[in-house]
Amino acid sequence: MSRVGVFVCHCGTNIAQTVDVERVAEAAKSFPGVVYSSTYKYMCSEPGQAMIKETIEKENLDRIVICSCTPRMHEVTFRKMLKGTKINPYQLEIANIREQCSWVHTDKEKATEKAINLARMSVAKVLLNEPLHTSSIPITKRALVIGGGIAGIQAALDIADAGHEVVLVEKESSIGGKMAMLDKTFPTLDCSACISTPKMVDVSQHPNITLMTSSEIESVGGYVGNFDVTIRQKAKYVNHDICTGCGLCETKCPTKVISEFNQGLAKRPAIGKMYAQAVPAKPVIDPNACRKLIDGKCGLCAKLCPLGCINFEDEDKLVTEKFGAIVVATGYQLIEWGELYPEYGGGKYKDVITGLQFERLVNASGPSEGHILRPSDNTEPKTIVIIKCVGSRDPKKGKSYCSRACCMYGAKHAHQILDKIPGAKVVTFYIDVRTPGKNYEEFYDNTRHDGAIYVRGRVSKIYEEDGKLICLGEDSLLARKVAVKADMVVLETAMVPAVGIRELAGMLGIAVDNHGWVTEAHPKLRPVETQTGGVFLCGVCQGPKDIPDTVAQAGAAASKVIGLLNKDSMETSPMISKVDESKCAGCGFCVKMCPYKAITLEDIDVRQGPKTVKKTVAKINGGLCQGCGACNVACRTGCIELLGFKNNQILEEVDSLCL
Amino acid sequence: MSVKENWEPKILAFCCNWCTYTGADLAGLNRMKYPENVHVIRVPCSSRVNPQFIIRAFQKGCDGVMVCGCHPGDCHYATGNYYTRRRFMLMKRLLEHNGIDPNRFVCRWISGAEAAKFRDVVTQVSNQIKAMGPNEKFREPYYLEKEAE
Amino acid sequence: MINEIKNACLKAFESGEVGYIIGWQATRFADKTTPLFMRSAEDVEKLVWNKYCVNSTAKYALEDKYPEKKIGIILRGCDSRAVARMISDKQLKRENLYLIGVVCDGKEDPICATCSHKTPVIYDVLIGQPTTEEISPERFAEVEKIAAMTPDERYNYWAVQYDKCIRCYACRNVCPACNCVECYADQYRTGWQGKAHNRAENQVYGLTRAYHVGDRCIECGQCERVCPMNLPIMSQTRKMLKDINDLFGPTECGLTIEEAPVLGEYDLNDREEFM
Repeated sequence: MSRVGVFVCHCGTNIAQTVDVERVAEAAKSFPGVVYSSTYKYMCSEPGQAMIKETIEKENLDRIVICSCTPRMHEVTFRKMLKGTKINPYQLEIANIREQCSWVHTDKEKATEKAINLARMSVAKVLLNEPLHTSSIPITKRALVIGGGIAGIQAALDIADAGHEVVLVEKESSIGGKMAMLDKTFPTLDCSACISTPKMVDVSQHPNITLMTSSEIESVGGYVGNFDVTIRQKAKYVNHDICTGCGLCETKCPTKVISEFNQGLAKRPAIGKMYAQAVPAKPVIDPNACRKLIDGKCGLCAKLCPLGCINFEDEDKLVTEKFGAIVVATGYQLIEWGELYPEYGGGKYKDVITGLQFERLVNASGPSEGHILRPSDNTEPKTIVIIKCVGSRDPKKGKSYCSRACCMYGAKHAHQILDKIPGAKVVTFYIDVRTPGKNYEEFYDNTRHDGAIYVRGRVSKIYEEDGKLICLGEDSLLARKVAVKADMVVLETAMVPAVGIRELAGMLGIAVDNHGWVTEAHPKLRPVETQTGGVFLCGVCQGPKDIPDTVAQAGAAASKVIGLLNKDSMETSPMISKVDESKCAGCGFCVKMCPYKAITLEDIDVRQGPKTVKKTVAKINGGLCQGCGACNVACRTGCIELLGFKNNQILEEVDSLCL
Repeated sequence: MSVKENWEPKILAFCCNWCTYTGADLAGLNRMKYPENVHVIRVPCSSRVNPQFIIRAFQKGCDGVMVCGCHPGDCHYATGNYYTRRRFMLMKRLLEHNGIDPNRFVCRWISGAEAAKFRDVVTQVSNQIKAMGPNEKFREPYYLEKEAE
Repeated sequence: MINEIKNACLKAFESGEVGYIIGWQATRFADKTTPLFMRSAEDVEKLVWNKYCVNSTAKYALEDKYPEKKIGIILRGCDSRAVARMISDKQLKRENLYLIGVVCDGKEDPICATCSHKTPVIYDVLIGQPTTEEISPERFAEVEKIAAMTPDERYNYWAVQYDKCIRCYACRNVCPACNCVECYADQYRTGWQGKAHNRAENQVYGLTRAYHVGDRCIECGQCERVCPMNLPIMSQTRKMLKDINDLFGPTECGLTIEEAPVLGEYDLNDREEFM
């Protein structure tokens, strides 16, 4: 027979004023299983807890119900209290007679009745509580960072500096991301490469960081502290172990293709580094461009290479490694504006370029060595139109959100044009100017003082006439039509999530929103965590942001990772789902419903008459299960039960209310 | 059976731990007032609420049942309440098909901040059910007899 | 047609891949048939195919989940959907089955009037000419009839029905969607289903079963056929199906072997009525 003790708290007068606590305690004595009940002024106080502990001993109780404030307040307190007693901390139920009774009711008689009902429900439930035990899982002290942009670089460096091993995976042949393409950064106008390349070099030289470029995530298994990640290292066709990066192959390669790094404004050889300061500073062969790999002709680089690094037989390699934590830092790309905005020429005018193309144009290491020249005829443009919010804040054609950085780099572009081209005219079309950041508003102000013209309105059409780009728009402040004869147009286009984020999110069991941005665990209070334990995020993969925010977030994610990896093991909640394999039919209905991918179907051996057969059953991964209970309802048989909220416990609560 | 004087309905509300239960606690902190006949059962997520619990509650003598959880999109477990939504859209209709008055079973999304919504919803449900009188449908004869005494 | 089916059976036995084949055989009543388990070519002679072949041949395979040889099943349209149901629910493996599909001509069973799939949806061999088929306008007639009643009328309608129910569980036993290892109603420790025989418990059973199978019901009507008390069981599951059609788009279950029941899915754009 169970021996239940019921403890009714006065909470000073908070409860006792509206609920006759003595009557509740008296009524509780008649509930099945209850052998003891009493009241106390403050159960949560030290003397209160001591009284409960003493009573447990004296009355030989094996489970208790505390009628007090909400369990969200003191469930943890009382569980801790029980740790020192012979009662398991989970042999406890709390009846919420304060927040959901005494504080919300005025009629003492009725409130007391309700408190008795709530106590009875809790007693009925606690009778079916089983002792539960937390288990601890070991933590692999290695982190995986996915994405080698400034977010990933910063996170990797911070984690590595704290003394933990990091593997940094980048799908391109060099780390650096979008920041490496930029010229100067607002509002300080320091050179982007000058501040990011030292960090890139730090990554390559850090003893705790293993860099895997040209690599992508193939699959992810396991759970917090114990992820098994398979990484596909794409064929480089160059043996980086012996290559010195002399660059001979690059200069002699006869094939030239459009350079992605230069945003299509220049060409690159089929073998080579992504850009001059690439890390690692060693070339790879682009299999989609290399003549030798496409039709077997050429092979010049192999003949020229003094060390024999070229290997046309190279193949993709799959490596599986164990990690304790994962940081997602996959960043963004720019929206494909061509199809969405045919009124801007849809890409047919060479001198209508994106902000990122402008960055390459104005970059000293770019195709025009920093001279702003029209891509069509390499002449210096005199009148330049900048259009902001192309694809952003445009739910009909593009994205509903604001891309956050465009107002500032738009101002920076205007500044750079005015700085580099004497007598240039810059007209910026905008919806709003948003400059929330330190020294941002001042920068924007200065740009206008320098002579940039800001016109509030959208450009409705761009067409070519006599070698000029005519931009038709409206100045909505003056309510009149505007036409600008421009030599060049810069579109500040929207950021969109990197390709493949949905697949990656699927593998990691994390959520993305309708746009594809990774969803954080809580928008305010858990901004760098995801809903999957051990998976963190930073940078633009979570939503558009500028470099300072990205770096700050990377540091935050790193500190979460360090906090996790500093532990040798972690406790898991015992309130997770459990499968009764004998009843499980293996229908797999629960598998899809689990938001954490904690359920898998596995074959187990069972005796079936004279033979042993393989029976498929659901298995719960205790490290992944977060205890939501969605699977319980999916199971018609009821063979998955959430410990602490089992079917019979809830049914007993229902029944006992109705008695 | 005539409705007894001072009859109070029994109303059961399944509330998810992260939103509605918190909202109900907040109603308490703000000392909002609502009828005493509403009893909350705490569940981790509205997706833990098996539609069979609802049938059970009516069978055992509840006059009204509520299921409340986070707003879709705000689920603590990301997707739980999307399943809840489908389950109870169908269960509600099935109950109506079997003669349960739609006002006796109510499903609502109430966030942790919406204490006032919690108060308003439970008050409204309680008043509606009070006006309707005791539920006799699906009830076990034992309880009906007990009530008649 | 019977000869073609027999030939298909003989061929199947000849191949040596099939252990036994499930079909129908005559009884001493002219208007009744009973399931037939043919274990060799000699048994094929006993096979019959007439309008009294009303038993579903599909669910027997559940009793033999780990067969040494393939299980042969002669399928009508509804039986094929039953097999598809059980494969979708991962209770049968397609590779363990040898399916002889027969285009059905309608049997001596009221459910056949609203049949929308006389041609089997899965099979290894098909006998007969596939017919053009459409969903019967009468599919939800019974549901709509009940929908027109007031709540009290509806309750009284079902009260009369469930007062008759003897909870023999025949509807469950015959249902291809009821393929749990252990039915919730047979469990005693969780307390889902009281054992008392009264209207309330019968209703709990009826509603729970409808909810359990409603999003997977293949509308074969076996539950109503076997019910000794003539309960309109289908109108419970068809109520679920009608709502699923209304809320989530046209749905017929058991048409493929990789089906995703609506209660196991969600859509961000589902109708919102709980705000």
